[in-house]
Amino acid sequence: MSTIDPITLAVVRGALETAQREMTLTLEKTGRSSVFNLAHDYSNALFDHLPEMILQGQDIPIHLGSLIPAMKAVAGFYGEDIAEGDVIYHNDPAYKGSHIIDCCMYKPVFFRGELVFWTVCKGHLTDIGGPVPAGYNPDAKEIYAEGLRIPPVKLWEKGKRREDVINLLLTNMRARESQEGDLNAQYGACRVGERHLLALLERYGVDTVKAAIAELKAMADRQMRSLIRQVPDGDYFGKARLEDSGHGLGDLEITAHVSVRNDEVAIHIDSPPQVPYFINSYEGNSMSGVLLGLMMFAQLPPPYNEGLYRCVSIDMGPPGTLCNATEPAPHANCTTTPMETLTDAVRLAFEQAAPDRVSASWGHASGINIAGKDPRRGDDQYVTMVLASIISGAGATRGMDGWHSRGPLCCFGALMSGDIELLEYSYPILIHRYGLVPDSGGAGERRGGSGTWLEIEPLDHVMTTVAFGEGRQYPTAGAAGARNTLIEPKLGRLVHRHGDGSETAYDHNAMLEIAPGERVININPGGGGFGDPFTRPVEEVLDDITNGLVSREGARLDYGVIVTASGELDIEATHQQRQAG
Amino acid sequence: MKHDYRLGIDAGGTFTDFIIADREGRVRLFKSPSTPEDGTKAIRAGLAQIADALGKPAAEIVANADLCINGTTVALNALIERQGVKVGLLCSAGHEDSLEIRLGHKEDGYRYDPEYPPAHMLVPRHLRRPIGGRILSDGREREPLDEAAIREALGYFRDQGVEAVAISFLWSVTNPDHEARALALVRELLPEVFVCAGSEVYPQVREYTRTSTTVVNAYLSPVMQRYVSRIDALFEELGARHPVQYFQSNGGLAQGKMMSERAVTAINSGPASAPQAGLHVARPFGIDNVITVDMGGTSFDITLTRGGQTNFSKDVDFLRYRIGVPMIQVETLGAGGGSIAHLNDQGMLQVGPRSAGATPGPVCYGKGGQEPTVTDANLVLGYLNPDAVLGGTVCLDREAAYQAIYDKVAKPLGISVERAAFGISTLVNLNMVNGIRRVSVEQGYDPRDFALIGAGGAAGMHLVRLADEMGIRQVLVPKVASGLCAFGQIISNVQYEKLSSLPLPLDEDEAHRDVLNERLASLRDQGVEQLRQDGFERNEIDCHYRLEIRYLGQIHECTVELQSDRLDAQGWQDLKAAFHDRHEALYSYSEPHSAIELVNLECSVVGWVAPPQMPELAPRGLDLEQARKGQRDMLFDESGDWTLAPVYDGEKLDPDLCIRGPAVIEEPTTNIVIPPGWRASLTRAATYLLTPGEGE
Repeated sequence: MSTIDPITLAVVRGALETAQREMTLTLEKTGRSSVFNLAHDYSNALFDHLPEMILQGQDIPIHLGSLIPAMKAVAGFYGEDIAEGDVIYHNDPAYKGSHIIDCCMYKPVFFRGELVFWTVCKGHLTDIGGPVPAGYNPDAKEIYAEGLRIPPVKLWEKGKRREDVINLLLTNMRARESQEGDLNAQYGACRVGERHLLALLERYGVDTVKAAIAELKAMADRQMRSLIRQVPDGDYFGKARLEDSGHGLGDLEITAHVSVRNDEVAIHIDSPPQVPYFINSYEGNSMSGVLLGLMMFAQLPPPYNEGLYRCVSIDMGPPGTLCNATEPAPHANCTTTPMETLTDAVRLAFEQAAPDRVSASWGHASGINIAGKDPRRGDDQYVTMVLASIISGAGATRGMDGWHSRGPLCCFGALMSGDIELLEYSYPILIHRYGLVPDSGGAGERRGGSGTWLEIEPLDHVMTTVAFGEGRQYPTAGAAGARNTLIEPKLGRLVHRHGDGSETAYDHNAMLEIAPGERVININPGGGGFGDPFTRPVEEVLDDITNGLVSREGARLDYGVIVTASGELDIEATHQQRQAG
Repeated sequence: MKHDYRLGIDAGGTFTDFIIADREGRVRLFKSPSTPEDGTKAIRAGLAQIADALGKPAAEIVANADLCINGTTVALNALIERQGVKVGLLCSAGHEDSLEIRLGHKEDGYRYDPEYPPAHMLVPRHLRRPIGGRILSDGREREPLDEAAIREALGYFRDQGVEAVAISFLWSVTNPDHEARALALVRELLPEVFVCAGSEVYPQVREYTRTSTTVVNAYLSPVMQRYVSRIDALFEELGARHPVQYFQSNGGLAQGKMMSERAVTAINSGPASAPQAGLHVARPFGIDNVITVDMGGTSFDITLTRGGQTNFSKDVDFLRYRIGVPMIQVETLGAGGGSIAHLNDQGMLQVGPRSAGATPGPVCYGKGGQEPTVTDANLVLGYLNPDAVLGGTVCLDREAAYQAIYDKVAKPLGISVERAAFGISTLVNLNMVNGIRRVSVEQGYDPRDFALIGAGGAAGMHLVRLADEMGIRQVLVPKVASGLCAFGQIISNVQYEKLSSLPLPLDEDEAHRDVLNERLASLRDQGVEQLRQDGFERNEIDCHYRLEIRYLGQIHECTVELQSDRLDAQGWQDLKAAFHDRHEALYSYSEPHSAIELVNLECSVVGWVAPPQMPELAPRGLDLEQARKGQRDMLFDESGDWTLAPVYDGEKLDPDLCIRGPAVIEEPTTNIVIPPGWRASLTRAATYLLTPGEGE
């Protein structure tokens, strides 16, 4: 039994959640780039003085795992040199950042001269300098060729805004006004969070609040331990394949070794040596991949704090490997690739450990960044990641078909695609299609969710398109005996449709120049299925045919359901097909 | 009041409530069991009761009454129970899945939940038909409308038995021509079918919001139409002289014709009368900044009204459907008297959102409830009279409440029952305080500038503690708190929202000011014309304007209110300053040197309906002691020390007497708890005024 009064505990918990939620709201409402205001590609967390994460929001899983080591690295960098009114900025993976386009703001919260909290806000800017707009340079052989690295630096010092430093950063970024607006939005979020936390401290005092937070972490610890205790002691292995998305070294493999002993779990990652291609993951980012795999097993409701991970030890493998990369490995793509493969490896190991808690994988991100000059606005440069392009299908679970268009795996439903009209208003583009892709959901007794088709034409200018990610060669992994026969529609694709209607398709991360009258089509994979597709109830397959989610060919090949040209179910043929297996 | 009576009818799920006010300010409440299969049966039954009570034939009352109907449950229940009609959607080719993609987001709170289901689709994929033809963001036509595709789709809809067609094309908000043509084709080819288009229902940027709003409207309007036509026919038969008016989610009334075509404007009308009611209560005190809270058995609804204007919300998810049209911003919490206190998976005390409802109800009702509720805690704390008989039938059982709190909360947590009961009360208050923060602080308003108005039977036991937490220094609880919202409906005005999108830089260019002035005038004219058709004179009509403004490059706007429809040079500068201030208040910073742009404008046109007069209480020459009916032990803080506090009978209390806390005032349908450090007096407007302080 804790010493903290249970009522106060509940009050403190509620106040922390409100503070975090308000930070998220501020970012959404004030952000300048579509990545912030439409896509919600940002995350907020609160840390205590230690600093341990005491609340992570319902935000992007790829950000939140890495924040745990990053906060410690940043606080460690400054040691005692942290004062009231300071605001620190950072993106560098050498200090446990994820990828450098994700810039993170850390604001220490002082109460009566004592550092009690940190409000932390990480967001995906639309540009971070470097040779390729939007920060994803598939040709980079080193991190130095990817953009501006920002080791921990103070943007505000004792309440004074350091215009020189901010200017240095913004000078190195494209579409500077947009980046500055987003930086202000982050500052607003940190301050709004601080406002709430100070009110809490005022009301209950530092000692009580600290005691409550200690107990909240202890409770999370007990919660995770009780789940781990239900898993039989043993060693479980998951292997996941990482397709060659352009480096030419062939497919790679990531292995997770999950070792359960009583109420503790050790996760050991084994990955090949780092490669001269932007898919290396430094340790901070890999932390996100591993913790997402763990949470897919744990399936816990919010709130989340660092106490959950006390019983978990993680070893990313030797330095210099794909999942524990070191300088000068290029890394821009790491938050999706290889992170999603890493997550899959951990998820597969837990599938061995706890088959009843497993679900299929979600579609991996294969998306595009776009950039160019906006003829409507005096040829101002624009640059952005199109988050709509990475919305893949969700994996099926034991009881439920996967959600359509809810991915990718690394975001787990936290992202938003953005309203089509707002995208067309913000950028000089025409979006011809944004819809679900037939036959893209992984076949299974429970079908995977459908992936998405995004088709863009630049208006009155040439648009640079930079592809990233993977999922264009192998379909998303299913679970519990799911299997795909009709493969092609379940893959991601990048297509350049030329003015004459001819098409060039790419299965790697290409950089394309799209002229007016041409289109780029980005297709994202569906989610994995769950269970034997031949046991999917026939009427559900017919329903999917009616709704155009499964074609007649897909029904026959994937589900063994035969429908005649006139649309009638052939009961006899279906029976035979399903019997034959 | 134009007539002798105002008659309000609220068709609820269980009961249909009738509230009738006359010119002298007498207000009476009647109830009749609801008849969902045909709402008119319940209305006839209720009218018969009223006729009996007033000693006049129903026809005579109806002929001399303004009629206000809240059919809230008609649209809302059809949505909840998925009993709307079969809808087909005509949408821009390539975008037929936007309704199902739902911006690609899974709702917060369910991130790792493997069993949380996708949202229900009001229009399945095969009934969402792609139509070629494309308008660009600046309104230019890029590709002509594919009429053949429309004809083909309508043929399919006919075969499928579609009963309503929704039309929503990209950028119809900047150029509605394609939608207008499609509307004409549907009316020509499927004349029996209800049809509506996005550019009429919600003429604002954001395709997903507009499409979803249009679909919900198509799904519900035919249901509403059937309801309205029955009610209208009934009252016509009874000799009503004016059209029946219906209550909307914007807190105003509308005529039946409007309602039949825009059912989406009625889906959350239930709690939307609270702001009017709250203002009515506060007006005698010269207050027009009010936060009105309505606490019943299962829920706690909060609304905020500032300077007489109520916060709206738009573009929100309602029951997981995206709704654009402005609705009174209601923060609804699962925090009522019946909310259940329990320990969650982690062993933490939690109150709500589960509720014991009316059945089995709180443990102390003795109707089978086993789990302790907020009402049980209030009883243990001494706020409720243990000898009270609720509704004439339910005797409260304090022993049972005490035992349940011991078993389910105190014992597992290792604390005393007193502490546990006080904790339950504290936690439910915390939920409510957070809710009040969301409509005030988080919208940039300081709650200390507001009076807190209590409605609903349970509010009076919590209000002062809420006020204390928020720093609010004026609490008002009318004697009729438990029926306040029903009353709010009959004192509401007729109100329509006119919306428009107008992307426009707010810079130094005078031409831009002219464009804005022109558009404001045009919205005003549309609204005034509609109210004139409803029979209002120009001098009975008021207009309020809301402008949605943002920094160039932002996507979300801050709303700035405007009282005038014509901006001069100074007004133009003031408008910009007001935006920067608003941004600062909401988000802790502003960018005074950044460019700003207008995005949307809205005009609320209000046809004023003179409210019935309120009765005035006259002193009967009684002193405080004569109202004192006893005393009992109560608990006001976490110390666990009981305080012996007096109990007053509200019925015997004269106006203008001052009661110092700690004390409880018992009214027939509500209890008002005055903690130490607060005092209360009953004013002549039949409202209790509670303020902090010891003295007179």
